Amino acid sequence: MKVLKSLGVHAIILSAVAFALYPVLWVVSLALSPNEPPGAIPWPSDPSLDALSEVVLRQDDEGTYLFLMQTGASLLVAFATAFVAILIATPAAYALSRFRFVGKDASLSALLATQMFPGVAAAIPLYLLLDAIGLIDHLGGLVLVYATTAVPFAIFQLRGAFDGIPRDLEEAAMVDGATRLQAFRLVVLPTVRPALAVTALFAFMTAWNEFILAATFLSREEIFTLPVVLQRYVGEHRAQWGHFAAGAIVVSVPVMALFYWLQRHLVGGLTAGGVKG
Amino acid sequence: MLAGPVTTKPDGNALALADVRKQFGETTVLKGIDLAAEDGELVVLVGPSGCGKSTLLRCLAGLETPDHGTIRIGERDVTRLPPKERDVAMVFQSYALYPHLTVRRNLAFGLELRKTPARTIDKRVTEVAGMLGLEALLDRYPRELSGGQRQRVAMGRAIARRPSLFLFDEPLSNLDAALRTEVRIEIKRLHHQLRTTMVYVTHDQEEAMTLADRLVVLNGGVVEQQGPAIDVYREPATRFVGSFLGSPAMSFLPAEAKEGTLTVGDATFDSESAHRGPCTVGLRTHDVVVDPDGPLTLEVRVVETLGHATHAHGVVEGHPFVARLHGDQRPAPGDEVRLRPVYVHLFDPESGARIRR
Amino acid sequence: MTRALAALALVLASALPARAEPIRLWHAYGGAEEAALREAVREFERRTGEEVDLLAVAFGAYLAKLESAIPTGRGPDVFIDAHERLTTYVDAGLLRPITGDVPDSLPPESLAPLRQGDALYGLPLSLKCAALYLNTDLLPETPESLDALARAQLPEGTFPLVMEAENGYYVAAILHSLGGQLLTDEGEYGFEGEAAERTASWLAARVSDRTIPDEATGELVQRLFASGDAAAAISGPWLAPDLPEGLHWRVVPLPPLQDGGEPLEPFLTVEAAFAASQPEGDERGNAEAVEALIRFLAGTSGSRIRATVGRQIVADEEAWGDSRLGHDEFLTTFRRAASRARPMPTHPRMRMTFVPVQRALRRVLRSGAPPAEALATGSRDFADDTRPPPAERDPMPLLLVFGLLMLALVGWWIHKARDPAVRLAIKHSIPAYKWVAHAFLAVAVLVIVPLLVGAAVSLFAGRGRDLHYVGLANYADILTARGGDLLGDRSFYIVLLVTVLWTVLNLLLHLGIGVALALLLNRPKLRFKGPYRVLLILPWAVPSYVTALAWKGMFHRQLGAVNAVIESLGGDPVSWFAHFGTAFTANLATNVWLGFPFMMVVTLGALSSIPDDLYEAAAVDGATRWQRFRRITAPLLVPSLAPAVVMGAVWTFNMFNVVFLVSGGEPGGSTEILVSEAYRWAFTRGQLYGYAAAYAVLIFLILALWTRATVWVGTRSKRRAPVGATT
Repeated sequence: MKVLKSLGVHAIILSAVAFALYPVLWVVSLALSPNEPPGAIPWPSDPSLDALSEVVLRQDDEGTYLFLMQTGASLLVAFATAFVAILIATPAAYALSRFRFVGKDASLSALLATQMFPGVAAAIPLYLLLDAIGLIDHLGGLVLVYATTAVPFAIFQLRGAFDGIPRDLEEAAMVDGATRLQAFRLVVLPTVRPALAVTALFAFMTAWNEFILAATFLSREEIFTLPVVLQRYVGEHRAQWGHFAAGAIVVSVPVMALFYWLQRHLVGGLTAGGVKG
Repeated sequence: MLAGPVTTKPDGNALALADVRKQFGETTVLKGIDLAAEDGELVVLVGPSGCGKSTLLRCLAGLETPDHGTIRIGERDVTRLPPKERDVAMVFQSYALYPHLTVRRNLAFGLELRKTPARTIDKRVTEVAGMLGLEALLDRYPRELSGGQRQRVAMGRAIARRPSLFLFDEPLSNLDAALRTEVRIEIKRLHHQLRTTMVYVTHDQEEAMTLADRLVVLNGGVVEQQGPAIDVYREPATRFVGSFLGSPAMSFLPAEAKEGTLTVGDATFDSESAHRGPCTVGLRTHDVVVDPDGPLTLEVRVVETLGHATHAHGVVEGHPFVARLHGDQRPAPGDEVRLRPVYVHLFDPESGARIRR
Repeated sequence: MTRALAALALVLASALPARAEPIRLWHAYGGAEEAALREAVREFERRTGEEVDLLAVAFGAYLAKLESAIPTGRGPDVFIDAHERLTTYVDAGLLRPITGDVPDSLPPESLAPLRQGDALYGLPLSLKCAALYLNTDLLPETPESLDALARAQLPEGTFPLVMEAENGYYVAAILHSLGGQLLTDEGEYGFEGEAAERTASWLAARVSDRTIPDEATGELVQRLFASGDAAAAISGPWLAPDLPEGLHWRVVPLPPLQDGGEPLEPFLTVEAAFAASQPEGDERGNAEAVEALIRFLAGTSGSRIRATVGRQIVADEEAWGDSRLGHDEFLTTFRRAASRARPMPTHPRMRMTFVPVQRALRRVLRSGAPPAEALATGSRDFADDTRPPPAERDPMPLLLVFGLLMLALVGWWIHKARDPAVRLAIKHSIPAYKWVAHAFLAVAVLVIVPLLVGAAVSLFAGRGRDLHYVGLANYADILTARGGDLLGDRSFYIVLLVTVLWTVLNLLLHLGIGVALALLLNRPKLRFKGPYRVLLILPWAVPSYVTALAWKGMFHRQLGAVNAVIESLGGDPVSWFAHFGTAFTANLATNVWLGFPFMMVVTLGALSSIPDDLYEAAAVDGATRWQRFRRITAPLLVPSLAPAVVMGAVWTFNMFNVVFLVSGGEPGGSTEILVSEAYRWAFTRGQLYGYAAAYAVLIFLILALWTRATVWVGTRSKRRAPVGATT
């Protein structure tokens, strides 16, 4: 009876795993056998790494490995976005968790509101803005836009994490001789490290997966981010799905690695992220 | 290093509070606290929850700024100083150990902040660890410790700093009863060893009585009474203080005082008080003795057997009453026991103030 | 506002020192065509000493990029695009006429489509039109007509012909041969009436007798022809590079529909190099070099390279004198086909016919609607898409109201600032402000201001950049369903209903699956917990645009894995995007796949904070497993899950990627949700930015109301809760 029950549990979970894995395998087999669409069982019929190597080892006239440069640009943008977003959001989230101040509720509502407005509407005004400060066609401009887009959610997320830390801890540090800033840096921040990592991961993903703004703002191929590069395999008349799938794998791997690395923190690191007024 | 105004008013007090007031929004938590402690004294702030004792402690630590009044530690007016400049150490109810640091680093944290030389830090940590028996735990993280061990680390962290004033915020409330008594004695011992002024907040009257050199009873944001613990116990200044100290609590009976006698309902007994008119009689459990001719009749409802004594809970003249009997006397519920008062506290029925003889 | 910002940008840009910059050339080519263009450009550089920067722009972002970049002086000097967008570009002021000489070798008929009024805006590079690809193993003889093709003797399971039967671009070839046209010369919608009905009936008959596969996309055309499963294909020169080595094939110009009829007349697209305009006062002063580049690319030398390397059907006549080109059957056939093709009208409404035509054809081919009725809906759609913008209004009243509001606000602030209590509170807030200031500044400048500007656009109407103030007319139009049936096609209310259904079902499934899996994974004695968790989080880690495209592929009628599974189980393949129910299900499946890991992880976190002794206490009280879940787990999960649900609702409500990429609104826009509908108005129904912006503002208002409501309900239920849950 017990064995049966446990088998049942495993069967349910395994079917969920199959549901989760199926499309991923489908993309993988498409990438490995671009000329033969995968059937019911996503397994490459005639596996070859041609598409993958064509995508990854693409060179321009000067022999530069474009895709590698673009991967570098993407990584740079994504990591910088995560860093800047955390840098901006952390102190604000801390203040929103710890201090009472005039305008606190209003600013929380404003932050929440930014999450509700469809972002595409802001593309052209943003273009003009970045152009005015000379950051069009510049990875820095992209980082700035992504980071600020990621800030509101990061603030909610981190505020929840700070709420979970007893005030006693920083008060102890302050009685021990720390300034508010030292208590924040030496005691509070190290304690919320898991939440910081998870928040950084989300900011990273914001930048890593974004297409429309990157395609609009960037005009030099060597600094294209990967989603823009990928999109080029889906043209007006021709779609090179094998190449797209191959690129998709390359794009997904770093995020998967980060997820794997952070998955322990993901559970719990998220619960705190609340939107409670 | 010591910024802030320095007053030169040598009255020898280690700690002096004058008319300290604090308000949170609409609620007034401290309504003008005056308090003084001599150097090396262990001051216990006791009171029911919400009485303002924790807020007062936080004002001492610098975690809250009073709206009004002054706080002096030693010779310095610290009312507006941030915590780091007050040279105080605090033990929190939750211990507030830094979860990301080992016990050793927890103990050293305050010293590191003050840029103490590494050798001195090492020496102090070893010394404190020895004092509290933490040697074997130095490289563990707080999450790997038991409740009692965490409590010791919290105290150790305060001691390592060698502050001029220790603050304890209900440090024993998260421990089980046996451990609580043990640590209580430990604190007493440390106080003797260190000879530093300590302010200790608790809501537990027994803890307060056993620890205090000077007992301060707070209620509703005002000091009801302060003084040596035994004096406060013996001569409670108000009905509240009487009821708060001692367990089981003091019983109260409405009475009428006449020439040499007190009348409670149908019962009358002798009194030495000069007071005349209505009053409230306060009787601690041990202020009555069993006497077949005693004026008071206790209708017993519940009996608690402690072995060395028996607590008889019941009603006297329609009012709840507890008497402490000898361990050999064990009445059954429903029995009537005649009692004779041997010591009587009198309180004003209106204000609750003690009626002096 | 926009103009002011642009002017500001101008001033800043002109302050920078001028330097000799390379010529910037943008294109959307890939593969051999891109290689050929590069080679031609290198040749030009070698000859002239000029430097050229090439940029391959993703096709999906081409127009948006040109529109935003050119007016700020950050666009290309030259860009390559099809001629049919000429009028759009000219109207948007993105082009500069060609002033220099035009090579004599360019035939006048290839220049004509590039003229607007007296001005010539570009030089033709290559000609593109559809032709008939024949598998010579299956069809050694060239068929007389498409009907003859249908009668050909072929192996079982082979389609005689594969073509994109729902795509107006290809269907137009048939229409033209029957005397119809998609857009009349006056810019009126043409896909109705007799010729159109005959076209649609012919296609419907061919699909139903399995001459043509149903729901054929470009991808399917390529796959079927490449694998030999289709004997013939109608496609353009772009099909050739994707055909495998061993396949024997050739091309012929499109034959007539029936024996002896007029040959099909496909659309001709002239790909041209255009000279981009330069913002006034910011001219780059390289006009001559730019024209030299365009002349070179279009001229004989450039054409030779593009034809030999890129297999382009070049317009330049002298280049064909090269014997290698003159004897190349593929190229010459397409050249012949092009000479008989009909240049696509450059009218800006041209591009707007394709979507209505496609919708009409799908109604006929997928849902079996009678042609006349289905074609009428196409006409209605077109009329709806191209209706004139609301009349210009005087902005004064709104400015006045706005000004008064601001004044009142400022007055109120001053009034409040006089209150000493408020002053004190502000004084006490100063330390906190130091912690939040930079974040709010950044968010305000880079998020809120652009969003407000975006929102302000909703008060304007017009197409593209040609905007005028119309007050609240856009909102009035949306809320009255543009004067049509409030519950009719494309009505705001219907889309809202679909969006709400979409959000609710998604959340229920996310929650149901997420919580169920979390409960299973939380069982104390479960083995392989770690690996399970990692695998179940996987969907979250894959970028959503990849996921969406993968799922779209899996739901493909012929090639998709889902139908393959159904067929392997003995079922009939489902035409997923032909009906609302199935298309909606496909979207739902995709988004559920994307979203359940989030809820699972949140639930796992919440579960780990529920103390075990609660369960023990309940077990002692004799609670069953279900009662324990119902009475303990569920109530304790609510506080942790509530914020995730509110957030999840907002995200799902605005989940553009899935709807846009999976169903694309099919069938007939019925699975569109509010955001994707807004996107359609902005980008595929003729750039009604103002209208789209009004949609965005309405979305915002709905979501703001929803979160307000949840907060209100939340505080109320908290008040009712007996003993606070341990949080």
